[in-house]
Amino acid sequence: MEFIDIVLSISDGVLFGTTYALIGIGFTMIFGVMHKINLAYAATSIGGAYVSWAISTLVPLPAILVFLISAIAAGVIGWLVYLCCFRLVPLDTPLTTLLATVGMLIFIDEVVVHETDGMPQPYPAIFDDVFFEFGEFGLRGDLLFIFVLSFAAMLVLLYLLYRTRLGIATRAVAQQPMAAQLCGISIERTNASTFVITGMLGGLAGAMIGASVGVLSPLLTLPVTVKGLIVTVIGGLGSIPGAIIAGLMVGAFENLFLALRGVTERDMYVMLLLFLFLTFRPGGLFHRSALRD
Amino acid sequence: MDFLLGLTQLIGVHTILGLSAYVVLLTGQVTIAQAGFFGIGAYIAAMLTTLAGWHIVPAMLVGASVAGVVACIVGFPALRVKGLMLVVATTAFGEFVRLFWFNFDYQIAKGEIMVGPEGGEGFKQIRYFPENGWTTGDVALFIWVILIAIMLALWWMDRSRAGAVLRAVGEDELAAQSVGINLTATKVTAFAVGGFIAGIGGGIYAHYTTHIEHANFSVLLATFAIAYPILGGLTNVTGTLFAVVFIQGILVEGLRFMGDWRNLLFGALIVVAMNVRPRGLIDERVVMIVGRAFSTRKGRADA
Repeated sequence: MEFIDIVLSISDGVLFGTTYALIGIGFTMIFGVMHKINLAYAATSIGGAYVSWAISTLVPLPAILVFLISAIAAGVIGWLVYLCCFRLVPLDTPLTTLLATVGMLIFIDEVVVHETDGMPQPYPAIFDDVFFEFGEFGLRGDLLFIFVLSFAAMLVLLYLLYRTRLGIATRAVAQQPMAAQLCGISIERTNASTFVITGMLGGLAGAMIGASVGVLSPLLTLPVTVKGLIVTVIGGLGSIPGAIIAGLMVGAFENLFLALRGVTERDMYVMLLLFLFLTFRPGGLFHRSALRD
Repeated sequence: MDFLLGLTQLIGVHTILGLSAYVVLLTGQVTIAQAGFFGIGAYIAAMLTTLAGWHIVPAMLVGASVAGVVACIVGFPALRVKGLMLVVATTAFGEFVRLFWFNFDYQIAKGEIMVGPEGGEGFKQIRYFPENGWTTGDVALFIWVILIAIMLALWWMDRSRAGAVLRAVGEDELAAQSVGINLTATKVTAFAVGGFIAGIGGGIYAHYTTHIEHANFSVLLATFAIAYPILGGLTNVTGTLFAVVFIQGILVEGLRFMGDWRNLLFGALIVVAMNVRPRGLIDERVVMIVGRAFSTRKGRADA
């Protein structure tokens, strides 16, 4: 293994890791606002990507529009998940919403399998023929585009959270729902908007995963769920910067061990990384001490 | 008839898996690791019977004990965290076990053929039951005897001091701690017992399907394991059995005439069930009504 190969696999991994970061942000935000786990979140993302794929087979569209449609569709699916699994279910029993989201995960997955007969479908990529070379070092154009787009999405999210009234309301509900309600903030509306916003982020991530892998498959849902959860924990629950850095880390780590140990053992090392964090730094990278469980 | 016996076998094994999660859920911990313990029990028991030629009962006990010990070891770091973190930690552990078996190769020649686990190909030729002339009925009986033994043991535990301790931790950790309950010990014990029960289920599963592979023990199976007790309700052990019959008997087998729409309905019905009966199918109210019905009848008989 040449040194340059290691550098290349790490840099590719960091670029792809932005999609994990987006999924991780989604899990973290929903947890931050509602203190509930939404296991259907990765299914929402992949579902959004599938809707955009279905539309692109009907009408030929430029790839960037396909990405946008994916984000919007996943936003709608995210709202539906909120409605079915959180709005209409009593929130005092945490297990109930957990199982409801599992049911939703299975449901979304099976809708996809039903519509595509479980076959992987080709997904349009952007700049997949571009390759930037700097001497020995090089970067894949499509991955670079994913990286830039993800960071743009994160900046928009941070602007939304810290510079708009919606963001203030969201952060207020996350900090102290009762006090937020006394200030006249509708908790239900805020929760719903969180699901729509995170759904849109997830849809973008789902589209980019599809674009960089080249195909969409219902088999993607479970691995993306697991990776997203790992990113959430490594980054520290409820921490958006943590999720971003952990996403890049997990991406790099995964790709490095893909190059070193092959595809069958790759994920074992990601799990080991997680266990190292749980043992030595259970709060994650960006630990917030006074966090309600 | 064979179909029905096969279904009772399946329901038996899945109920054992569900009960393994039930014990852990009583302490309020959500575990997605049960498929991992199930897999450990399955592989070890199957290796002992096919490669070492053991009898099935000691093989299953050894497999289950290993699963229990692993659960105990994993329990200490994993149970320091709770809520979402524990879900992730146990998910990761389950996936780790699955990937371990995916990369595990240990084969020996037995007559003409090679037997033993073979990485991604899986573990074929677990022929203990056919080789020893067990019929489908015998196997079903064997499974249900074990299942009933486990259910009785858990029923008894639920009514004893140990059950009260588990439920106290599940209801309110702070209150439990303040009356002197050792939280870590309680949780790790529940986790180890759950691992042991899952290991027994895995041992049976490996032998009646005769072929296991890593994909059998995925996160999906683990979510089913927690889905049974949650759907059934945590009031007592019968809830888990009802939920397995509801899911495997009615949703999976009963809806077979609907073709591939069945799977769609499956997820949707779980969502609906959680909306309609948030505390499980057999919740406290049902238990109270049934209990009252029995007690009045008894009261009349006495009078």
